[in-house]
Amino acid sequence: MENEAKTILVVDDSRVMRNIVKNTFSYKNIPCEFLEAGNGRDALQILQTKKIHLILLDWNMPELSGLDFLKKVRTAEDYKNLPIIMVTSEAAKYNVIEALKSGATDYIIKPVNEKIFKEKLAKIIL
Amino acid sequence: MEQYIQPFIDVSVDVFKEFLGCAITAERPYLEEKNAVNAWDISAIIGLTGEARGAVVISMKTNLAAKLTDILTGTNHTGLDDEVVDAIGEIVNIIAGNVKRWLEEAFRLVISLPTIVQGPEHSIKWPHDQARIVCIPFRIFENQVFNLSVAIEAVKGGV
Repeated sequence: MENEAKTILVVDDSRVMRNIVKNTFSYKNIPCEFLEAGNGRDALQILQTKKIHLILLDWNMPELSGLDFLKKVRTAEDYKNLPIIMVTSEAAKYNVIEALKSGATDYIIKPVNEKIFKEKLAKIIL
Repeated sequence: MEQYIQPFIDVSVDVFKEFLGCAITAERPYLEEKNAVNAWDISAIIGLTGEARGAVVISMKTNLAAKLTDILTGTNHTGLDDEVVDAIGEIVNIIAGNVKRWLEEAFRLVISLPTIVQGPEHSIKWPHDQARIVCIPFRIFENQVFNLSVAIEAVKGGV
């Protein structure tokens, strides 16, 4: 079971940032499949068709923001326990509190500290 | 508004160090003319709303934008392609988002998605009633420069 490949959905409107997030995580010796979405609306569609083990979620995106996506997802019983980590530049304390109150599993502020990032992800994905 | 400029300097230094692995040094800030035509090739703009209004703009020449994107992507860039535009937008997004933490005792800010303006000698149209625009020049890679322009004023409360 531990060797089961994990499917991670990276949601960020910046393709450069999605690649940085993927590359940072791929150093871990964990079999992972990455799926990508550029906004919350596209992420919702992927979530409805794929089994996702973890979502890495930006906040500011067009179409549907990360926070609105988070709120929508948490209303569905199937996704109440799905790990969702915000990975965002929104660094104010009131942003962190709002995201955690809305159901974020954890909160990582960009620029991502690689060590902290790996530690937090490993706790969830291993 | 000068008291709000230092966080932009400190955060920019930190972001360039942590995100790009580059040391930058701020030079003396100065007041910028509204609608000034500049010598840059690309500007990335983040609008500020909420309890204050304004904008933060990062501007630079093509070769610097490409070089910073090379660092972030590990691939070579020469012009202002989509990946360079994306990368410069992300840099100013991270600066603006992190500055919110330093200004949160003064006001709660909402930051917009980045907007990109590109082309030689482009100008940024700042609203006429906008606060004064402070331009912070930064030096990077010894002899290259970029600017961070900031306008911010409180909508409510005293500034």
